[in-house]
Amino acid sequence: MKKNDEFYVPYIEGSLGAKTKQTLKRFTMGSFVLIIIAALLFSFSQKPFKNSSFELLNETKITGTFHESPYPMLRVEVAENTFKNILLLGFGKSSADPFLEKLQNDVKNLNGKTISIEGNLIYYNGKTLIQITDDEKVTLVNAKNTKIPEKETIGEMTLKGEIIDPKCYFGVMKPGKGKIHRSCAVRCISGGIPPVLATTDNNNMSTYYLLTDLKGNPIHKAILPFIGKPSEISGIVQKVDDWYLLKINPKNISIKSNTSLFY
Amino acid sequence: MGLDYQLVLWNKHKKTYDKIIAFSMLLYIILFAVITLVFNAETSIETLVIRAFGSLAIIMLHIILVIGPLARLNSNFLPILYNRRHLGVSMFIAALIHGGFSIFQFHALGDVNPIYSVFTSNMDYASLTNFPFQVLGFLALLILFVMASTSHDFFLGNLSAKVWKRLHMLVYVAYALIIAHVFLGAFQQETSVFTIGILVIGFVIVVSLHLITAFKEGKIDAAKAEEKEGWLKVCDISEIEEDRAKIFTVENERVAIFKYDGKLSAIHNVCKHQGGPLGEGKIIDGCITCPWHGYQYLPGNGQSPPPFTEKVATYALKLQGEMIYINPDAFNEGTEVEPCNY
Repeated sequence: MKKNDEFYVPYIEGSLGAKTKQTLKRFTMGSFVLIIIAALLFSFSQKPFKNSSFELLNETKITGTFHESPYPMLRVEVAENTFKNILLLGFGKSSADPFLEKLQNDVKNLNGKTISIEGNLIYYNGKTLIQITDDEKVTLVNAKNTKIPEKETIGEMTLKGEIIDPKCYFGVMKPGKGKIHRSCAVRCISGGIPPVLATTDNNNMSTYYLLTDLKGNPIHKAILPFIGKPSEISGIVQKVDDWYLLKINPKNISIKSNTSLFY
Repeated sequence: MGLDYQLVLWNKHKKTYDKIIAFSMLLYIILFAVITLVFNAETSIETLVIRAFGSLAIIMLHIILVIGPLARLNSNFLPILYNRRHLGVSMFIAALIHGGFSIFQFHALGDVNPIYSVFTSNMDYASLTNFPFQVLGFLALLILFVMASTSHDFFLGNLSAKVWKRLHMLVYVAYALIIAHVFLGAFQQETSVFTIGILVIGFVIVVSLHLITAFKEGKIDAAKAEEKEGWLKVCDISEIEEDRAKIFTVENERVAIFKYDGKLSAIHNVCKHQGGPLGEGKIIDGCITCPWHGYQYLPGNGQSPPPFTEKVATYALKLQGEMIYINPDAFNEGTEVEPCNY
C-alpha cells in the first residue's frame, strides 16, 4: 500500500493533509466528470419516443353507439358515413366491463344503444381509446337501437408482429412494447385489456389487429406467454369499420428471434 | 469513536461529503431530465424518472465499488472510505425510486399483487434473452435495502463486525444481479454502444482494481516465515517506520507489529469496528489508531482506552539482535503483553 506521512482521523481537526486533500479533489472532480459523461450518454442514447398521447389530467366526453365486437367500443360518426370506433378500457390494467356493468344491468342489452362516456383519451397513429374511471360517467343518451357495424371477412392471413396491450402502446407508456414493457402488457391483457397484434411493413406502416379466439370471443389468458415477443400468427382477418380483427388459435402462434422489424 | 448510538455523528467532513453526494445526484438527474425533455420531448414523466434514477444508481454503485480497492492501494483515498455508507444509502434511495416506480408502473393496478407479478408475469426463466430481468433487479434491491438499513454502528455493534461485514459483502451479489438486470433488460431493447460500453468499462475497472488489490495483499499472506524454536522471523527493526506497523501473517491471521517510543507490540490486524486493517494505522497519543474510522487500541494490551470496550488479540514478540520474532500463538483478546524494548 502506498503510504504517506499524512494520516486522516475523522475526529482530529487538521488531520486532513495537503496530499490527501489533493487526492480527494481529483477523485471528486473525476466523479463529476463521470456523472456528466454518464448523464449525456444515457440521455442521448435513448431511442426516440412515439408521439402517442394519454390525457391523464383531462377528461373528454364522447357519445356514440356502444357495441362489443367482441371488445367494448363506442362507434362515433366523425364525418358523414365515416365512423371511428373508440376502444373502451377500464382504470389501471383492467377492462371497461366493471364500469359498464351498472348501465348494462339497467338497460339489459347495451349493444346498439347510444351512450355517453367521460374519460381520459389515449390516441396514436389513427387509433383512439378511452379510459373510464367512474361508472357514474357512463350515461345512456338514447335507448333506441342503432345499427352496429358488421364484420367483413377478408380471409386467412399469416402476420408478423408483436402482441401488445393497446392501452400502453397507444399512449399510456413509452415505450409500450418490447421486452422492457412485456410484464406490464401481460398484466394489462390478463386484467382484461383487449390484446392487439401490431405489425409493421417494410415501409414502416403499422396495422393493428384485435385478437379473438376462433369463435370471435375475447381472448386473454391463453396468449399471455406470447405477449411482447416478435411473433408470427395465422388466422382469419375481419374488418369492423376502422379496426381489424384476427381470429386465432393460440397454438398457431410462433415466437420469432429478436430480429423483428418491430424491435 | 462513539459510546452512544446516534442517527449520524455529524462532523465538518461528513457534511462536505454529503453535500458533494447530493450535488452530484442532483446534477445527474437535472442533466438527464433536461437533455431528454429538450431532445426527446415525447418521453413520459414515469419513464424519465425510471431511467434517470436507474442509471444514476448504477453509476453510483460503480463509484462505491472502486473506493475500497483504491483505499487499499493508496491511503490518500481513506477519507472517501470513511463516509462510504452515506454514499451507499444515497445509492439505495436512487435504486428504490427506480424500482418503486417500475414496480408501480409495470405491475400495480392489475389483477394480482404487484410483487407476485414481478415473479410471474414473465415465466421464461429458462431463456437467456427472454429472462424475467425484473426479478434480478428486485432481488438486488432487497439486498441493497438490507445493507442500507443496517448501515449504522448500532447494527455493526449488535451483529458483530464479522457478520456485518459478510452481510455487506453481498454488495457484490447485488452488483452481479444489477449488471444481469440491465443486460437482460434495458440493453435488450435500448441497444446503444455508448451505454453498453460505459458499463463494460465500469465492470472491467471494478474487477481489475479488486484483482490488483487481491494480488498485492495475497503477497503478504503468501510470504513464508522462517521458524526458530517455535518463533517466526518477521523482519529487521529498521524495516518498520516509527509509529507505524508491519503486517505479518501467522496461522492464517494477519498481525500488526507496531514500533513506537523504543518499543514493539503486536496485535491482531482486524479492527473490531468494521474490520479495518490496524496495521495500516498509526500510533496517535500512544494508541494504535485504525485508518478507516479512527478506532483506537492500546498497543500493550489490544484494548480500546476506557470508556470504550473493544479488544483485539495480542501476541508476544522477541528480539535477537535487530531481528524481530513473533510467537504465532495468540493471547486472548485484551491480554496485557510486555512490549519488546529495543
